[in-house]
Amino acid sequence: MAGQLIKEWTAIQQFPAATQEKLVDLLGKLKNQNVNTLTILVMGKGGVGKSSTVNSIVGERVVTVSAFQSETPRPVMVSRSRSGFTLNVIDTPGLVEGGYVNDQVLETIKRFLLNKTIDVLLYVDRLDAYRVDNLDKQVVKAIADSFGKEIWHKAMVVLTHAQLSPPDALSYEEFFSKRSESLLKCVRQGARISKKDVKILPTGTPWIPNLVHIITDVTLNGKSGILVDKKLIEGPNANDRGKLFIPLILAFQYFFVIKPIQKWIKYDVARESKPSWD
Amino acid sequence: MSSFAAPSHLLPLASSAASRRNSSTAAIVSRLPSSNSIIQCDLPSLAASSPSSQNPKPSKSPPFLLKSLISPKSLAISAGSCILFQLSTPLFSGGDSIFNSGGGGGGGGGGGGGGGGGGGGGGQGGNFWSRIFSPAAVAKDDDPQQEWDSHGLPANIVVQLNKLSGFKKYKVSEILFLDRRRGSTVGTEDSFFEMVSLRPGGVYTKAQLQKELETLATCGMFEKVDLETKTNPDGSINITIPFLESTWQSADRFRCINVGLMPQSKPIEMDPDMTEKERLEYYRSQEKDYRRRIERSRPCLLPVSVQREILEMLRDHGKVSARLLQKIRDRVQQWYQENGYACAQVVNFGNLNTKEVVCEVVEGDITQLVIQFQDKLGNVCEGNTQFPVIKREMPKQLRQGQVFNIEAGKQALRNINSLSLFSNIEVNPRPDEKNEGGIIVEIKLKELEQKSAEVSTEWSIVPGRGGRPTLASIQPGGTVSFEHRNINGLNRSLLGSVTTSNFLNPQDDLAFKLEYVHPYIDGVYNPRNRTFRTSCFNSRKLSPVFTGGPGIEEVPPIWVDRAGVKANITENFTRQSKFTYGLVMEEITTRDESSHISATGQRVLPSGGVSADGPPTTLSGTGVDRMAFLQANITRDNTKFLNGTIVGERNVFQLDQGLGIGSKFPFFNRHQLTVTRFLQLKQVEEGAGKSPPPVLVLHGHYGGCVGDLPSYDAFTLGGPYSVRGYNMGELGAARNILEVAAELRIPVRNTHAYVFAEHGNDLGSSKDVKGNPTEVYRRMGHGSSYGAGVKLGLVRAEYAVDHNSGTGAIFFRFGERF
Repeated sequence: MAGQLIKEWTAIQQFPAATQEKLVDLLGKLKNQNVNTLTILVMGKGGVGKSSTVNSIVGERVVTVSAFQSETPRPVMVSRSRSGFTLNVIDTPGLVEGGYVNDQVLETIKRFLLNKTIDVLLYVDRLDAYRVDNLDKQVVKAIADSFGKEIWHKAMVVLTHAQLSPPDALSYEEFFSKRSESLLKCVRQGARISKKDVKILPTGTPWIPNLVHIITDVTLNGKSGILVDKKLIEGPNANDRGKLFIPLILAFQYFFVIKPIQKWIKYDVARESKPSWD
Repeated sequence: MSSFAAPSHLLPLASSAASRRNSSTAAIVSRLPSSNSIIQCDLPSLAASSPSSQNPKPSKSPPFLLKSLISPKSLAISAGSCILFQLSTPLFSGGDSIFNSGGGGGGGGGGGGGGGGGGGGGGQGGNFWSRIFSPAAVAKDDDPQQEWDSHGLPANIVVQLNKLSGFKKYKVSEILFLDRRRGSTVGTEDSFFEMVSLRPGGVYTKAQLQKELETLATCGMFEKVDLETKTNPDGSINITIPFLESTWQSADRFRCINVGLMPQSKPIEMDPDMTEKERLEYYRSQEKDYRRRIERSRPCLLPVSVQREILEMLRDHGKVSARLLQKIRDRVQQWYQENGYACAQVVNFGNLNTKEVVCEVVEGDITQLVIQFQDKLGNVCEGNTQFPVIKREMPKQLRQGQVFNIEAGKQALRNINSLSLFSNIEVNPRPDEKNEGGIIVEIKLKELEQKSAEVSTEWSIVPGRGGRPTLASIQPGGTVSFEHRNINGLNRSLLGSVTTSNFLNPQDDLAFKLEYVHPYIDGVYNPRNRTFRTSCFNSRKLSPVFTGGPGIEEVPPIWVDRAGVKANITENFTRQSKFTYGLVMEEITTRDESSHISATGQRVLPSGGVSADGPPTTLSGTGVDRMAFLQANITRDNTKFLNGTIVGERNVFQLDQGLGIGSKFPFFNRHQLTVTRFLQLKQVEEGAGKSPPPVLVLHGHYGGCVGDLPSYDAFTLGGPYSVRGYNMGELGAARNILEVAAELRIPVRNTHAYVFAEHGNDLGSSKDVKGNPTEVYRRMGHGSSYGAGVKLGLVRAEYAVDHNSGTGAIFFRFGERF
């Protein structure tokens, strides 16, 4: 991170004035809480609009997007700073490829995130996907397995492609709540957390300040950020587990395994049927 | 005499470990002479002791001497069994030596097989030996070409023996024993026939016939015996032996005493001019002597059950007759022989005509143990081996003062052979000349060459391009080894070997081993048997950790090279149970196919590519680990062979304790416990040729590791010694494993068929191995199998069904699973 050139967040000026004001306000709020950097990890299935979301947040076309094919072969981090505050947004490749959670991708993301602290996870999915299936659960689970389920305490679900017309005379609100409800349920199941920490972006415009607002909320929700270190990626080091007990184990083995077997052998020797001539 | 001989070795160069192993099996198999042959050694003394028949009336105390104890059969066996049959220094000589040639023939025939120079002891045999060997002699004389003379007398007349011509050879066409008391002839199967060496059809001179009569008269079985000949029309003669069997008053007690090492009772010649009073005096003194003799004698080994059996025989018969005594003798000797007391011999029945029958036995007490070394030519020489080394291998029963037992002799032979210091071992009991009835156990050893070197070469054809063997790829390989054994005569040895499959390029795979073995570290006199061993070694093995699960075609292999030094102490509790503990220091290098050091395993990507970011191969992460650890292994094994099948229990606990010395300071406790039970499902009679019992084998193996666990030390599941039906490591590599197996073996003819079921489980600990190789190579982590098979010699042919995929396959494996 250090070696990376951090650009000034100039694109913020492109936002409408109200949004700008709101953003600056929120960032100031974060700064007040002594939060100088904010790292946002964006994850989701392929083609749900992760990169677009990133572009929207930053306000620039920082990552290429294409409607028809995956454009993000590896994770990309975009850093912008404004008045001493740094915003990092990490875009990742889609986790699902060919109907399976791609371990390879997960692996590269993990390695990319090594030694970074994640403050917010944006789990991106499409609003216009009707059904929540097993695959969603698997994706959620894979994320939880990789970074620990703690990460879902710092997560929010972003539903993209919201400009749809709901099917079968459902009202937009109704559809939205249903969809988000089922997705949240899935997330909770997959991540095995019960607390409703996961926030859903409410309806209504303007969404960017809203998003940033919630991001701020999530950041300040009392849970510390997830530091992705070796331990987290590789799981607990089994080699260190129980090491302290080795002397005890050794003593146990000597007195309760080797000694009894020795006694047993002596018993065998005594009991051994001697030939008649002996 | 008998001896047990391990087959001699060939040239010292050829005496590699393999040949020694062969010899050891051969030694155990090597047949021992039928114990019958041994008896003969003790008997000569009898010939000298005065026969009771010299007394006018064999009444009361004069001991009844059984002399002609050897059945012709026994000789035939000993000669036929082709085992060294040796009579060293016959105790008696002189007398008529007519049968000498025959005796020599018998002895020599036996000696041929032993290869140790069987002496024709019978050659010097005199009066007594003639009897023993005469059947053989007769057999020789039986030659159809043998000339015989017609008696030249009218037919069908009875001729007294002394009326026969001394110059003629008479052909005997029939022999009859005529019991005068009963007035009937005795059947040929009667024990009396064993006592004459004459056989129908044989050709004898007058002297021979007289000799025969004399021995019959002196054997003590007859009160009166004669030999009459009757002429036949065809020129041959019939022999009739009219006799009166000796009988004594009935007895209701039986006693068996060991009179070995005691002087034989030698009755004083009785002066025929003695007065009645003197005669009484004489009898009384004799009786007293005999009582003293009984008191001095030692109790014998004959168990109460046999004694009771004999007592019953006595009661059933009422009067004690010669034939009854013969039966008793046979029974007593049978017991001794069945129990391996090959030198035991009934020499005398005493105290007849009292209520008690005293059976005097020379059991064959060992008076001396002689260890002798021989050079290649069989000459006695100074040996390099120290005596205590050999003496500690001797069973207690072979020590001085014990009764010689052939089983103990065999045991000694096996024990000495297991030292693998000698090319030829003979354990030879021989009569002690100075101590009548004593046995000297003579151990003759031929030492192996102390230093030896061996070069063996082999050509291996390796697959060339396209898997086809090409001429250019034929590689000269082989082994160079040297051995310096029995250093200081204390069985210490130093051996080294270097093996390569390609001498032109030995750096490719050079396997070496240098080992020093130091037995008896507690002293050669200390019964504690601890051996110190230290060795330098290297080895190269294909790691089963980096193996694909089902469906994964090819995982790039990882070779694990280990090189290091090892020092340990082994304490042997029994032949199979032992405790080994020591220190191992080794360097482990992991290499890929092309022998480059590789720090991580490779994984095959779904796309078909190979990426090098698989599980780490070493603890250090560099591909080279160094570590020192303590190793202990305790084995309790009381399995034994019952009619060729194994029964018993075996427990093995192995422990590797890391010391924190080495790369990344490895500190770990790696332990394995194996429990195997061979349960006999049916009681069967033990013995050669009897069928083995069905056996249920239960097996459990737990392996676990706490602390640092490099992947090459992970426990792998699957394979012929883990879970059959799978490849090595096909089920996974884990930190803790549990394997259970059951096998039922049913004997079929002289082999067995079996059914089995096995299961192996990683107990969820696969993920605790760094890099989780089980998951990376898509393995299940657990699996079961079942199947059936049959043992064909050394090979097991089995059909095993892999329960994970449900498919079966036929496997051929060498050796045993458990």
